[in-house]
Amino acid sequence: MRKIYFSKHSLKFFFAMLLTSICFFTPGNAFAQQTISGTVRDASTGNPLVGATIVVKGSNQSTASDAQGTFSIAVQGNNSILTISYVGYTSQEVTVGTRTNLEIALVSNSVELNQVVVVGYGTQNKKDITGSVKSLKSDAFNKGIINSPQQLLQGKVSGVNVTSASGEPGAITSITIRGPGGIRTGSTPLFVVDGLPLDNSSTGGGDPLNFINPQDIESIDVLKDASATAIYGARGANGVIIITTKRGRAGASTLNFSSSIGFSKLARELPVLTADEFRVEVPKAGGVLDDKGGNTNWQKEVTRTAVTQNYNLALSGGADKLTYYASLGAQKQEGIIKKNDLNRYSGRFNATQRFLEDRLVLEVNLNVANTKQERPPITSVLTDALINNPTYPAYDANGKPAIYQNINNPLLFFELDKETTTINRVIGNISPSFRIIKGLVYKLNFGIDNSTATRDVLNLPNAVPLREGRLENFYTWNRNTLIENYFTYTVNKTHHDISTLAGHSYQKIFVQGRNNSINRFVIGGVDPIYNPGVGQDLTIANNRPRGFAFINELQSFFGRVTYQYNNKYLFTANFRADGSSKFGENNKYGYFPSFSFGWKISDEDFMKNSAFNNLKLRAGWGRTGNQEIPPKITQELFTTLGSASYPLFPAAGNYPAGYAYTRLANPDIRWESSEQTDMGLDFGLWNGALSGTIDFFRKVSNNILLQVIPADPVQPATDVWTNVKDMRITNRGVEFELDYRHKSSTGITYNVGGNITYMKNKVENSPYSIIPAGSVSGAGITSSTINGYVNGEPIGTFFLKEFTGFDAAGLSTYTDLDKDGIVTDKDRIAAGSALPNTIYSFYGSTAYKGFDLSVNFNGVAGNKVYNYTENVSFSKLRLAKNVNSTREAFADERESLNNATPVTSRYLKDGAYMRLNNVSLGYNFNTKNIGIDRWVSNLRLSVTGQNLFVITKYEGYDPEVNIDRAINGVSSYGIDYLSYPKARSIIFGLNFTF
Amino acid sequence: MIKKILSLILVLTGIAVINSCTKLEEDILDESSVVGLTDKQKAEGLIAPVYAKLLDVFMHTNYFALQEISTDEAILPFRGGTDWGDNGIYVQLHKHENISSDVNVRNTWNHILIGLSRAVTAINTLSDNTDPNAKVFLAEARGMRAYYSLLTLDLYGLIFVKEDAKETSKILRGEEAIEYIKSELLAVEPLLDNTTGPGRLTKAGVWGLLTRLHLNAAVYRDRYAATFAFKNEDMDKVIEYCDKIIGSGQYALATEYFSLFNDNNHTNKELIFAVDQRADLGNGHNRMAYFSLSGDQFPLPAFPTANGTDGAAITPDFYRTWVNANLPLDPAVADPRFYKQNLVIPGDSCIPAANFNIDRGILRGQQYGLLRVSGAFLKCANGNMRVGKLFSVTRSKPTLAVDFTEAIDFTIAGSNYSTGYRVSKYEFSKTSVSGRNFGEHDIVILRLADIYLMRAEAKFRKGDPGTTALADVNLVRASRTATTPPKPLTTMSLDILFNERGFEFYWEMVRRTDMIRFGKYEGTWTEKTNADKQKRLFPIPQTAIDGGSNLPGYLVQNPGY
Repeated sequence: MRKIYFSKHSLKFFFAMLLTSICFFTPGNAFAQQTISGTVRDASTGNPLVGATIVVKGSNQSTASDAQGTFSIAVQGNNSILTISYVGYTSQEVTVGTRTNLEIALVSNSVELNQVVVVGYGTQNKKDITGSVKSLKSDAFNKGIINSPQQLLQGKVSGVNVTSASGEPGAITSITIRGPGGIRTGSTPLFVVDGLPLDNSSTGGGDPLNFINPQDIESIDVLKDASATAIYGARGANGVIIITTKRGRAGASTLNFSSSIGFSKLARELPVLTADEFRVEVPKAGGVLDDKGGNTNWQKEVTRTAVTQNYNLALSGGADKLTYYASLGAQKQEGIIKKNDLNRYSGRFNATQRFLEDRLVLEVNLNVANTKQERPPITSVLTDALINNPTYPAYDANGKPAIYQNINNPLLFFELDKETTTINRVIGNISPSFRIIKGLVYKLNFGIDNSTATRDVLNLPNAVPLREGRLENFYTWNRNTLIENYFTYTVNKTHHDISTLAGHSYQKIFVQGRNNSINRFVIGGVDPIYNPGVGQDLTIANNRPRGFAFINELQSFFGRVTYQYNNKYLFTANFRADGSSKFGENNKYGYFPSFSFGWKISDEDFMKNSAFNNLKLRAGWGRTGNQEIPPKITQELFTTLGSASYPLFPAAGNYPAGYAYTRLANPDIRWESSEQTDMGLDFGLWNGALSGTIDFFRKVSNNILLQVIPADPVQPATDVWTNVKDMRITNRGVEFELDYRHKSSTGITYNVGGNITYMKNKVENSPYSIIPAGSVSGAGITSSTINGYVNGEPIGTFFLKEFTGFDAAGLSTYTDLDKDGIVTDKDRIAAGSALPNTIYSFYGSTAYKGFDLSVNFNGVAGNKVYNYTENVSFSKLRLAKNVNSTREAFADERESLNNATPVTSRYLKDGAYMRLNNVSLGYNFNTKNIGIDRWVSNLRLSVTGQNLFVITKYEGYDPEVNIDRAINGVSSYGIDYLSYPKARSIIFGLNFTF
Repeated sequence: MIKKILSLILVLTGIAVINSCTKLEEDILDESSVVGLTDKQKAEGLIAPVYAKLLDVFMHTNYFALQEISTDEAILPFRGGTDWGDNGIYVQLHKHENISSDVNVRNTWNHILIGLSRAVTAINTLSDNTDPNAKVFLAEARGMRAYYSLLTLDLYGLIFVKEDAKETSKILRGEEAIEYIKSELLAVEPLLDNTTGPGRLTKAGVWGLLTRLHLNAAVYRDRYAATFAFKNEDMDKVIEYCDKIIGSGQYALATEYFSLFNDNNHTNKELIFAVDQRADLGNGHNRMAYFSLSGDQFPLPAFPTANGTDGAAITPDFYRTWVNANLPLDPAVADPRFYKQNLVIPGDSCIPAANFNIDRGILRGQQYGLLRVSGAFLKCANGNMRVGKLFSVTRSKPTLAVDFTEAIDFTIAGSNYSTGYRVSKYEFSKTSVSGRNFGEHDIVILRLADIYLMRAEAKFRKGDPGTTALADVNLVRASRTATTPPKPLTTMSLDILFNERGFEFYWEMVRRTDMIRFGKYEGTWTEKTNADKQKRLFPIPQTAIDGGSNLPGYLVQNPGY
């Protein structure tokens, strides 16, 4: 397929050139040196391709296309052949002939067969991969306002569940790959940025990936199965996400400026009663209406139309030996709740320099980021906005927030309480590689990731209501250093391609935190943030400074062999030995092997004339680990404890420091291990028009890390970390991806596709009758739990009393499972899981002339959500007490006014949803037509709608929720508790390339 | 060029070598250890935590809830449908419908056993300590281990014998358990001091614990018996140890009943063994004082956020025992243990902050106190504290008076914020900023009045016609001479003795043990009809059963759970 793109203008130009060339050509010039120029474009979009390589076959002559896609090169005569290649596109050979200006249209390799996939300590061609790996390039990312880089992936990769549980700028986005393998927190994948594995503990709160400017990301590679992740050993069990940032290309200097402005609004208000409805419903519920005559929509009062501005300037380019990419980004994001902002300034410099006839290649990456976040007291503001009596006016006669005795006016607390977090992060690495002999390359990777955070939690003093004021400062440091040395050796012989890797890695992570505080300020005085010394009260009981620090060290030896026979039979083996300072002397090192095979069926002779241009069968097995447990658990702690002091003598003061064990040691602790089998089939038909992948996987985790209660209950501390030997957590599933793209003869291209994952999780052989998670507190329900992990049920199971309706007295009835006449915790049932069994997404895009449009849906099904907000905030009784409520909470007429509302399946709701995540419409100006191409090679306008609608039965803000209310580090799932509501946004973007 | 390459390789390898090959030993940066301490610091540092755990055990939601809310002395409904619902555990506790996942049953268990374990650590480490006090501390640690065992025996019906922290404990029940506790207490008694005050275990403390053990031995021996067989030898021992305490002359009955529960009670000569709380140490809690008060009662002029919580109240049944015993007089008039007025209303509705003290004892009817508006107390023109009728302002019910009613139960009306008569026995600690923290008063475990009443009971159970028992009881009654003491009793019976223990020790965390011993625990009172004898023991927490599941047969659940 070779299509040459002509715009009307260029066609004229071409003929003109042709004419002139004829005029000048004489036969004697046939073998003389001449200069050919041309343009390289994408065959389907017509966009210029920047940095394509143009080589004159059989000579040393080579060049690259510039920012407009144009190039010029000297050739010897008309018979010269140019080879034009570009990553991700099928290379072309063009005979120069008599032309002096060439229009080259490269066809993108639609099945992405030539796509380069980053696999950890190297790259491989997609076609040669034997593991389950998905590579996503920047153009496929989700668009719009991106709170954290994980959201770029949402719905894009099968088997990956991204839950952006909070609509707050910068909040943590949870991501699991092929289901959670452990039951405690720490089931997030390992993130590797430009070869540097990150430490997942976040500094100063918020998402650990906040520092990355999404616009700097070139690609995200998701390593899903163990045969791919085993190279990361003890940290591979939850999958690995490799982020690669952009690099420059030789010979193509570009300056790209993009800006966008987005407007976000609360996507959906919770349907609490309006003032008029409230006036009707309170007496109806049996209460005495407390009517202050107002008509306040409290949710509206605390939210706003938030504006997000984003500016990004990127330079890239380079010459023969040096390429660079540099960017500066500024993002000013407002949250939809007032006084909630996140500003990020980021800078990046990536460079590659070649020395010694390209034998030595030096890569440098440097990223600095400064984020500043301001937060009001979100939970209390949201609570007040939902439950406050809507007949109370929000403002008093002077336009100030009105003050009431019996309700909190959230508007007041916007002024009084704030939390400011500033994070400075520098992450950089330098990685020289040296080709010692042909095929043998030594590479060093030295990286450092240093972040510091300051969090000021300020409560200002106030007269009415009376508050003394308090300032608390938290400081956190995180320094992650890495040094890796490895060799790769590649041999390519007829029929045999072997590539080997062997290396050593040492990583040290230092984490420290400190905090201090001071109380009592003068009203209206200096902002204590700027001078905490204005505080007037400092006591050891109220202001004891605290701190912690620890070091985690990891030392690893790793290797990989890939072997290809005849380009059809592929074999990969990975091995890593991981040593961690977290583990005991006898279990310092864990060994993590993996093996995988691939068979390119489509390259077999018998497939020669079939419709399949690609058909590859993959199978693999591997073992990986999870070491995400707190440090120091191999050592007991016998230390002074404030609460262990006691007055031994009559005199006051001078009390002895009490020493007690506060931590039991488990010197035998080891990593949790996970074994995964994967079988997959990659296929492409009709020259890649239709392509897809299907994968079956089974991931079994054992040696589950858990804090347990020792058999002998006489212990200085109630629990100890251990590996629960026989306990097993299994994740099984099928993933299916399909993509179809087509270009009609009229020039319309379109692309549709989607993916679906069906997954099942199961806990087995747990020695515990129930492992509770999801602690709650609130009226009547303190000490209840929402989740509970029991044998035979998945993680995220809701373990609840089963609500069956109301009795004659209007009181709730529940299933009495053990028929003992009373309903207790013993009668709880597994009432469904928060983990969806189906995750899907589908998309479509089309382009014609300069226009392009893309639409992207994603959704989940088979999961439940616990509406803890409703449970704790809304009830008929509370409504009767003039506490606002949703109708759902008091809808049943039979319910008695004073019915208790404990944690039960009554608040368990269907969590399935389908979201129109993204709609984006863009227009690329033909800069030539409008005559600005000399200065501007590319000009694009776009408009993106984000979270335009959600189809769901769930009546909370959004079914995509997960407030982790862990108990003893055991994660809860699917609990909706005053989650920061999601926004619906419209974003206008402008993009120039010079 | 070659040189350049070589030097580069050298540099790179250099970096690699410098940074590589670690032994992966974990450095602990933020935790202090005991290295470098003097023997004195070690000795004191080991015994202090053994006692310090008592503070957690003696919390309102832990030992207090188990010993009082399970009885007729206390009831805690789901207040106003918003407070103290706690997944129904307080209702279950009162109705004797406990289950093994009850968090308060679990927390009490955990705190006691951590205390016991700290005692084992102290015993294991103190023996070679050269500090002059180390020997006494070692004896105290052994004595405390026995005390913690006595608690587990009483609550859960078993004890854990652990000599070495590294060994798995041996579990004993019944007679064996009694013998173990007895022998341990007897072994340490000669080694203990008698001058260390009520905050530490003394000889007299051990005699008091032995008294309790012998008095309840019949129960501990045959937990589910229809009637308990009290042995004369046990009763003789009770009398012997009580005589020793009384005869020591170290202790004296307080003339003012509520002084036993004041902030400064540490020096009260009636206290034999108590949890020593010091506000300046900062560990203590004020939960005994705050628990029962209304959320709209603010007892401290200095702290406008220190209030009560509308927790437990006494049952009408228990109140009626006071009324019936004192007819025709009102108990407040007849018995100084029932009530002490500190606030005269409305005559002095402007009170200097220093003179403001809330009433003590059992609070009935409309309550008066500091008026709090927008977080601050109202003051009179002269700067005094404005005092007035209290309303449920903090409950968003500014028109609902804080008017304590006799009726309290689990119905909607009976569960409102102001139902039930409240107990203001302990002084509200003067420095308690939040009303919950900075306890000052010692929490009483054993006091002299109990010794007299236990001696009376032993004499009576031995067949004493009542005269000597009556003498002991009336001695205690007559001792409260600061105001008019209650009239002497004229007859004696087990029921009278039981009621008298209620009047003297209400809310002092002995009621459940008393009710079981007097055969009253299967009785009927407000909201309680369950007569299941198996409820005499609490369940072993499910978490402990689960934890012990890898040693089959080791930790067996109590019957009925």
